[in-house]
Amino acid sequence: MSRNTEESLARSEARLAWLLVLPTLAILLSIALFPLLWTVWESLHLHDLRMPWRGRPFIGLANYAEALTDTRFWQAMGHTAAFTLVSVTVELGLGLALALVLHHRYRGRGLVRAAVLVPWAMPTVVAALVWRLMFESPVGIVNAVLTDLGVMREPLVWFTHPLAAWVPVILADVWKTTPFVAILLLAGLQTIDPTLYEAARIDGAGPWQQFCHITLPLLRPAFLVALIFRTLDAWRVFDLIYVLTGGGPGTATEPIALYAFGVMFSHLRFGFGAALSVLIFLVSFALALLYIRALGREGRGVA
Amino acid sequence: MTNPGQRWVLVSAGVLLVTWVLFPVYWALIASFTPEAHLFAAPSLLPPACILDHYRALFSERAFWVPIRNSLIVAGTTTLLCVPLGTLCAYAIARLHFRGQGALLGVILATTMFPQISLVSPLYLLLRALRLINTYPGVILPYLTFAMPLTVWLLVGFLRQLPRELEEAAMVDGASRLRTVWEIVLPLALPGIATTAILTFVYCWNEFLFALTFTLGPERHTVPVALALFRGQYQVPWGQILAGAMVATAPLFLIVLFLQRRIVQGLTAGAVEK
Amino acid sequence: MLLLCTARIHPVFLLMLLLTACHSPSQDIVLTFSSSAVGAEAEVLQRQLARFMAAHQGIQVIQRVTPDAADQRRQLYVQWLNARAGEPDILQLDIIWTPEFAAAGWLLPLDSFAPPREAFFPMTIAANQWAGQLYALPWFVDVGMLYWRTDLLAGPPRTFDELMQLVTRARTDAALPFGFIWQGARYEGLVTVFLEYLGGFGGQIMDDRGRIVVDSPAAVRALTAMRDAIYRDGAVPPSVLTWQEEQVRFAFQNGQAVCMRNWPYAYRLLQDSAASLVAGKFSVALMPATADGSPTATLGGSQLAINAHTDHPQAAYQLIDYLTRPEQLVERARALGVYPPRPALYDGSLLAGVFPVPPDQVRHIIERAVPRPVTPVYAELSHILQIALHRALTRQQDPTAALADAARAMCALLERVDLSPQAGP
Repeated sequence: MSRNTEESLARSEARLAWLLVLPTLAILLSIALFPLLWTVWESLHLHDLRMPWRGRPFIGLANYAEALTDTRFWQAMGHTAAFTLVSVTVELGLGLALALVLHHRYRGRGLVRAAVLVPWAMPTVVAALVWRLMFESPVGIVNAVLTDLGVMREPLVWFTHPLAAWVPVILADVWKTTPFVAILLLAGLQTIDPTLYEAARIDGAGPWQQFCHITLPLLRPAFLVALIFRTLDAWRVFDLIYVLTGGGPGTATEPIALYAFGVMFSHLRFGFGAALSVLIFLVSFALALLYIRALGREGRGVA
Repeated sequence: MTNPGQRWVLVSAGVLLVTWVLFPVYWALIASFTPEAHLFAAPSLLPPACILDHYRALFSERAFWVPIRNSLIVAGTTTLLCVPLGTLCAYAIARLHFRGQGALLGVILATTMFPQISLVSPLYLLLRALRLINTYPGVILPYLTFAMPLTVWLLVGFLRQLPRELEEAAMVDGASRLRTVWEIVLPLALPGIATTAILTFVYCWNEFLFALTFTLGPERHTVPVALALFRGQYQVPWGQILAGAMVATAPLFLIVLFLQRRIVQGLTAGAVEK
Repeated sequence: MLLLCTARIHPVFLLMLLLTACHSPSQDIVLTFSSSAVGAEAEVLQRQLARFMAAHQGIQVIQRVTPDAADQRRQLYVQWLNARAGEPDILQLDIIWTPEFAAAGWLLPLDSFAPPREAFFPMTIAANQWAGQLYALPWFVDVGMLYWRTDLLAGPPRTFDELMQLVTRARTDAALPFGFIWQGARYEGLVTVFLEYLGGFGGQIMDDRGRIVVDSPAAVRALTAMRDAIYRDGAVPPSVLTWQEEQVRFAFQNGQAVCMRNWPYAYRLLQDSAASLVAGKFSVALMPATADGSPTATLGGSQLAINAHTDHPQAAYQLIDYLTRPEQLVERARALGVYPPRPALYDGSLLAGVFPVPPDQVRHIIERAVPRPVTPVYAELSHILQIALHRALTRQQDPTAALADAARAMCALLERVDLSPQAGP
């Protein structure tokens, strides 16, 4: 084939590719990117739907200034960050344990794997409802068990204590999302060449040494992928807390997405809400960039 | 491969994990059959009395089939829209060469990670201007924002795993690209496409924030919204809530039970084969 | 399999959608009326609506049931009205929502229908006005009251200290799980309880000149008393901080508490011996007070208003006019025990024996009830206060700091929105 035909082939392939991509791209641009830009634009305006007579004047960065001096905003950011840190850490740890258990062959492994997928498949709202009932006071099963075991002398009202209220939240999130982490890590485990372990055993390495020197390093990329997915997902937590605590007591468990939602849909302050939304987005974006760079350094591809 | 000691540790760890994972579900299931009066009396592992009242009330008093219908329509339509379009797009990214390929995949992945709350206010204003609030399209359109990139991402993973040889052979035979896709790639990719459809459906079925914001009443509420807004006359009607929760989760349980291998593949296809 | 099913179902439902979208050829005006209606309340309303429809041929009224929890109902209304939906045509509003909804342009002014404003309690009319126009007519009046067990106490407590002592003793004697219970979840109801404590200690949220005074020493004392009742005196269970009025009533109805703070609607329900364990064993009194303040009842209640986007304003007003006529209000009062908003009805023997206290006393209580600030940003002011109160009551902040924060945030809010009455539409 001549260079020319090769080039024209490549050009027609590219044309075809864009044709195939176009519908998806058009949809994404119009319902994801365009709204995002709209949010940015909106955030520079005073737009209170309850007060139509005030119009929608441009106010520059005033909404951002308000957000950055708003203690409730910073508290919500803090809550979200702490929630993300704690739940993701626990999930990765537990997820690894779960992956190791699932990796080995034994009778009934299929059943274990199906069981593990149940929380993943459950709607978050449902999971939150179930966990809320378990922690209801004074009669939820958690209080019943803990008082029976003598851990607590009297039932605790979990949802009126600023720290205790986090317990059901974190537990429910860990319960719901650890299976996903485990499955990603399991896939990572399955890509590790078994002969490596063989060789290590011949060299006299024990199981712990094998784990530290083969499993962990080779699992790093899968770990990172799980970390990205989970962090970004935890950062936008909404349903779980909406149902479990509603952000209370006071605002002790209020994540930033719930705060922004209330600002926009309870008080209809769309301008200020948009500024909050942009700030939430920026953090997500920064996190994603950070991780993608880290992943890039890991070298291409996990498999 | 494993010695008896190790095996023992593994099995007990497995039992422990399965208990931890299944206990809340089991307990909720039991509670959904327990009379309201016993529900808070003394929690027990076996139902003190087994009744179907909560399920009956769910469908007779609460018309729970309405949210189920809404969820089926919304999740089903979204899936039906996303999968064909997503397949085309994913094929282009997985198999064809063009400038901006990597960036495009990056953008698509980034979109799946968008915090939904950042889109919710402009989408609301847009849908309100189009008079689509509290309609099915008013929920389906926003759902595309996460379902579309999700399907593309998953399908790229699947398509890259397919052997190229058959395709190349067909191309050499002079078949056009699109015919190759139709006759060779599509049949091969069908399991992957089915898995993608299932995952997309599950994600749509479980979505909450958009459905909460863009619907106004029970006639358009989806299952998660209906459950979250359940309120009783006197107290939180836990029995009915849990019955509803079980009904909402039952189809997902079945999917998980019968298609677990597929789902595991789907969850890892996009992520691990990066 | 599932996917295939949905694929088959979908076109059918699309068709149904199309069918329902096309208007059926009918001359009838169809009004949708959104209200909370459960049990006996629903029955009375059904009767009244049936009579209305019989008297007004060509108007059909469809009821749309809304959540009972006030905050959830508000959220729903805000969603509906803000989406500019034409339905429901008639809305049942909480007394504090009218200015906000009116200012947002969601309600139809009623002045052109010449409503009989003088026939209602002046305070309830004031709460339904914005920028000089009337936007809703009162349907029933709520006042906060103390329900006490006549089988456990000799008489109602007059001061908060007395309340604590009596309740603690009676609770121990009768081995009840709870002493005094009130609606303490983080929602509007908490503000109404606080307002009653506040009045009892001689404090206010806003003074007569519209300045925020919710951080006054009296207010701090009031909130401290509420908190101490939970943790120091142990008379109030911490669970109340997750309860709304219905959970409170339920606990009292099951005989689990000595005293409760609740609205008038509870009286009739508690007297129903089929469902209530305390029927005939309780009475109603004003909330206690200290020497610095006076017994206070928060003014609440429901109003009827017309959606600004309705297609049938005239018919909608006819319904409101009908439901707020003396005969209908008396029927409601007799069946449900709720207080009508027309003062004239309390004269004479029309309502004798209907309430736990004689009608003229009820009227007196209503006339002295304390309204909440009438402003379009009330919801936001209240939200700030709810958070502060809940923080203090769950011991995240001490009352002084919590109320200082609230006052600062409320002032900032009023300054930001710049709400002089002339600014209205």
